[in-house]
Amino acid sequence: MTSTEKIEPFMRELSRALSSLKETDRDDILLEIRSHLEHRKEESRLDEALVSLGSAKECARGFYEEIRLQEAFTDGGPTKTIGALVALASRRITAAFGLLAAGVFYLMAAGFAVTAVAEVVTPELAGFWVDADKGAFFMGVIDPDSTATATEMLGSWLIPVAAGLGVIALICGQWLGRFFIRRMMRNSADRLA
Amino acid sequence: MGIDSWKSQLRKGAAELAVLGMLREKDLSGIGLLDELSAKPEIGLSDGSIYPLLNRLEREGRIKGAWVTPKAGGHGQKKYSLTPKGRAALKVMSSIWNGFKVQLTTIVGDE
Repeated sequence: MTSTEKIEPFMRELSRALSSLKETDRDDILLEIRSHLEHRKEESRLDEALVSLGSAKECARGFYEEIRLQEAFTDGGPTKTIGALVALASRRITAAFGLLAAGVFYLMAAGFAVTAVAEVVTPELAGFWVDADKGAFFMGVIDPDSTATATEMLGSWLIPVAAGLGVIALICGQWLGRFFIRRMMRNSADRLA
Repeated sequence: MGIDSWKSQLRKGAAELAVLGMLREKDLSGIGLLDELSAKPEIGLSDGSIYPLLNRLEREGRIKGAWVTPKAGGHGQKKYSLTPKGRAALKVMSSIWNGFKVQLTTIVGDE
């Protein structure tokens, strides 16, 4: 197998593995890796370089993870944070835990938002319901049949309370997401070694 | 914790400091950095790990890459230089590292 026959398939596979990156980022990486391989070829060290780079997918993963993590960390918003956690969850256990933990709080935030809106749309069914006989409580939209046994406790305070709790849940989800992103950025240094 | 795990922990962050330190004196490409590091295997940087690190440092604004084509022809190389932000980070990191090294040496000795 000639050197070209070794470089080209690697570069094609690397290009495919990096396809979800922005074109300018991908092209810059591909150009640099190609330059690296061509120089090693001239030094008759191509095989050594290919072994050290690992498979094209492994090589791409190093860039991909660094970029996703850094974008999420720099942006700081929930979309990039969740996007990075979702993208990395199948490969890194820390991301999977982060997604689970942050996801629970984001879902709670969404639930509180829906409750606040429901108080406007169906005020007779939305509320903070307490069933003293069963010792149960629930915030949200209740089944019409259950209104006979449950008592609504907040009245017009439901909207500000639900909105406040939603914001708290959103902040907690965001803090947890960024905590796991930071943790993975620190762990990236471990993998260098 | 095994020795390998301890070694991995010890290297945490060292690769970044090593790269910034080498770029303090002169601009280098990824290959140039690897060749300089070939005599220092304990730093633990390889072909596969140096480019994602350089990519991150460039995104963070600590280094700046520029493509250079040799006058005699041949393949171009992306050469990296320290930015003022990278130089400031290196100064702080070096100071912390030197303090750490001195204090640890007083405990474990230098042999």
